[in-house]
Amino acid sequence: MWVFRRFNHTHFPQISEFRLLPQYKLKCGLEIHTQLDTRNKLFSMSTNDPFHSANNPNLHTSFFDIALPGTQPLLNYEAVLFATKLAIALNCRVNLDSQFDRKHYFYGDQPLGYQITQHFSPFASQGHLPLYRDIDGIAEINKNIHVAQLQIEQDTGKSLYKKSEQITLIDLNRSGVPLIEMVTEPDFQDLGQIRAFIKKYQNLVRHLKISTGDLETGAIRVDVNLSINDHARVELKNLPNTSSILNAIKYEYLRQVRIIEDGMANKLLSQPETRGWTGSSTVKLRGKETTIDYRYMPDMELPRIKLASDVVETVRKTMPPSPDKVLNTLISEPYRLSLKDAKILCLNSNGQGEMYNHEELQQFYLDTFHSYAYRVKEGIRANNLSKLPTNWIIHELLGDLNKLELPLSKITKVLKPKIFADFLMLIHNNEISGASGKLLLFHVLKTLKETNCDACASIDFDSLIDEFDIRTINQIDDGELEEICQGIIESIKNEKLINDIASGKKKNSIKFLVGQGMKLSQGRIKAQDFEKSFKKVLDVKW
Amino acid sequence: MSSKAALKRIQLIPELQKKYNIFTHIENSVAEKVLPDDSNDSNAPLSHLVTGIKDNIVTYDMPTTCGSKILLDYISPFDATCVKLLRDAGALLVGKTNLDEFGMGSAGTHSHFGPVRNPLFPNENVVAGGSSSGSAAAVAAGAVDFALGTDTGGSVRLPAAYTSILGFKPSYGRISRYGVIAYAQSLDTVGILAKDLSLLRKVFRVLDKYDEKDPTSLDNELRAAISNRCIKRNTYKIGIPREFIQGSLTKELAKELTEPLSNFLKKLLQQGHELYPVSIPSTKFALPIYFTISPAEAASNLARYDGIRYGTRSEKNDLEDGTFFSSTRDAFGQVVKDRLVLGNYSLCSETFKDSYIRAQKLRVKIIDEFDSIFRFPNLLTGSEGNAYGLDLILGLTNDGLPQSIDYYNEKKISSPTNEYKNDIFVTPMSLAGLPVISFPLLKGKPLGIQIAGQYGDDSTVLDACSLLVDRDN
Repeated sequence: MWVFRRFNHTHFPQISEFRLLPQYKLKCGLEIHTQLDTRNKLFSMSTNDPFHSANNPNLHTSFFDIALPGTQPLLNYEAVLFATKLAIALNCRVNLDSQFDRKHYFYGDQPLGYQITQHFSPFASQGHLPLYRDIDGIAEINKNIHVAQLQIEQDTGKSLYKKSEQITLIDLNRSGVPLIEMVTEPDFQDLGQIRAFIKKYQNLVRHLKISTGDLETGAIRVDVNLSINDHARVELKNLPNTSSILNAIKYEYLRQVRIIEDGMANKLLSQPETRGWTGSSTVKLRGKETTIDYRYMPDMELPRIKLASDVVETVRKTMPPSPDKVLNTLISEPYRLSLKDAKILCLNSNGQGEMYNHEELQQFYLDTFHSYAYRVKEGIRANNLSKLPTNWIIHELLGDLNKLELPLSKITKVLKPKIFADFLMLIHNNEISGASGKLLLFHVLKTLKETNCDACASIDFDSLIDEFDIRTINQIDDGELEEICQGIIESIKNEKLINDIASGKKKNSIKFLVGQGMKLSQGRIKAQDFEKSFKKVLDVKW
Repeated sequence: MSSKAALKRIQLIPELQKKYNIFTHIENSVAEKVLPDDSNDSNAPLSHLVTGIKDNIVTYDMPTTCGSKILLDYISPFDATCVKLLRDAGALLVGKTNLDEFGMGSAGTHSHFGPVRNPLFPNENVVAGGSSSGSAAAVAAGAVDFALGTDTGGSVRLPAAYTSILGFKPSYGRISRYGVIAYAQSLDTVGILAKDLSLLRKVFRVLDKYDEKDPTSLDNELRAAISNRCIKRNTYKIGIPREFIQGSLTKELAKELTEPLSNFLKKLLQQGHELYPVSIPSTKFALPIYFTISPAEAASNLARYDGIRYGTRSEKNDLEDGTFFSSTRDAFGQVVKDRLVLGNYSLCSETFKDSYIRAQKLRVKIIDEFDSIFRFPNLLTGSEGNAYGLDLILGLTNDGLPQSIDYYNEKKISSPTNEYKNDIFVTPMSLAGLPVISFPLLKGKPLGIQIAGQYGDDSTVLDACSLLVDRDN
């Protein structure tokens, strides 16, 4: 153990202390495989759902998927549509006449003995995805990552290695699932750019609704090409999540730096090789001497993918605005959201167990905002317009929904944006306090849940306010209020504190007194009124 | 046809099988399926017709072996589209016919089930031609009324010529390939073998249908466009390409041929047809093109027979001498192995451009040359057709007489290319996907004449055949 630790410290700077060294320039490119979320597989009518069918191996397999003799591929054009969307979103040139090719190699989970992919004439090329400091959190103001090409191809099956029994189980549910392989140019120079790109790419495919975008399920798989100071390129594989990707790059960077410093680069870094990530180190999988000749050939029975010249424009028109564009809209007039809040309305979560997706939330927010803004009109400064919608939707409502496990899509049938704007107006006009508003909203949501969001139900805030007797008391008799304050001062039985407040020694503690007052009045009396009254009662001079 | 005739054929089968090794599988229960003559279903277009299916076309109720050890017990869970169409039309499937393994061979000698013997020579061991050897022998021996074969580079026409029957290879894409086990699917075409042309046409009408399951099936739009352009003629402009006659004829054949061939050509002229000498220069590359493209496709298609799901597997290791599943793939016969090596060589990154790509370019050139001599347009390539062009081309099917089985066993050892040469006259039409039929020059003689038309113009080929054959016999 001691030896290991010493080894770790002296030879490898720890990954947690990682930094790039200026004299060793890192150059990276990414190869990202993305499973397309089409209904059916790329070349058969089998259901495309490899992740959820993991417990039923070989359930979604047609005769073609298991490569029975005499079967033939039939192209699923939904995959072509999805690829077109991605190509457009990545600013690529779409190839109007691309073709499928066969890539030959033996593997147990590849029943045809070859993969149908695009090699000689891929689907799209010459794209780019810009990264920005503001939006994506990279160090530079902006950085353009160039996309070399996109190709459509089929996924392999899955091998499950049972080491103890010395057998391998094969599940072909994934065999023939459509994939897009995207290859970037080696434009990445640091880890921040890589992290930002992967995140942005994940969000993009979710935004386009072409993939779940999850690394955890293998819907997205990232390989890294890396070189230092233009030595030979190393390909890193088996990187199941973002932290493996980043740690593997760090480890490999440090490994190569050490080789260069030891003067061994000519020997050890002159030939490209492929390395895998074990979780703690990279290990050589194969070098040039064992390179497979894939014997690419055009597939002789699949027709070429020929697109009419207006297809790209037609598809472009059906596409939602890009996430960057939506984000920029939200942080500008009239919304003026903070970047953090705007991202909540724009970014996809992984979709597992969430009570909303960003699109319904965004729509709900915008509709509520406009309804509210219309009614507020001139009564508010423009830069304050989004304060209530943001606080009450992004912070309060989402919190309540999570607490109640209530999906947003269900409640909006009853709690429509216009009605939510009514609610915001109650707070805007000071008819109820914020504290009462919180209770009221939670009560309304809870009732919705109990009534299963019956679409016929209506929400009458006014009568609820009366029922709970929480309407703000605007016209309170000064004498009455002073009496209440006097009562509070007496009930806390802390003469020293009271004296300190009165003398100005502990000015802030007056907030404590106000709080007691708010509690007592259940928020119906405004805090400012309480503060004024306490100061009067204590004869505060400060 | 009557139920009596069908039963008579079925009863002959065991005896014929013993003599000629026609089938890889015989369906014993088929006699029970023969419907009485007065049954309602006996009006189906092919009812009471007995047929054999080449054993590289899948059937759900009989094994499909491709004549290979590796698929010895394989039973497909589905029927090929062409098989289903035959069943629906009332045909009686008596069994699966023997073949050169995976369709690779031109003599019918490379089957795991042993060579097929030619029924034209009942007392000798003469090859029946390949690779649809069993289908040709079944028809020639009278075991069936017609048989299905596949023609990748002559595999229907050559055995038809050797057994003196009709062998029709339609245009590529006319008959569905769904369920046809691929050898080289840019060339693979289902064909029909029969003695009687009107029967052959009846079978073709049943099979000549678009199939959405086959991505290379000729679609209905093109079918309609082609038939709109078809013109029925009584006399034809027929070209005789010098490349199909010159050179490689053996002396004995040339001597034997001269008289009947010139008689046949004289008859054509008497019938009012016009004959023209033509040249299709690129067809002299047809053999090398064919033996580059087809093994490359085969190497790819046969990659799936990996020992995990087919054949047997080494107990020790899947990887031997750096090769995956070498013991499994040892189950392939020598011809298949040769072609897999050849095909993989053509696909290697270093040789790909010089072999495979060059062959594809030359293949396009052959198609262009065919387009330039035919009057009928090629609706696939967009060629409008030559207004002064030909309706048909005519040539020999075989450049030699069928040899003894022993001859192939000996020759095989010296060089596989000796056998490749048999395909010299039949591969050009395969490369261009043309419709072509081979018919016997003389009844009962193993000499075939083939006539081919432009792509899609199958009806002209069949119409012409009925004029030429019927008047000749």
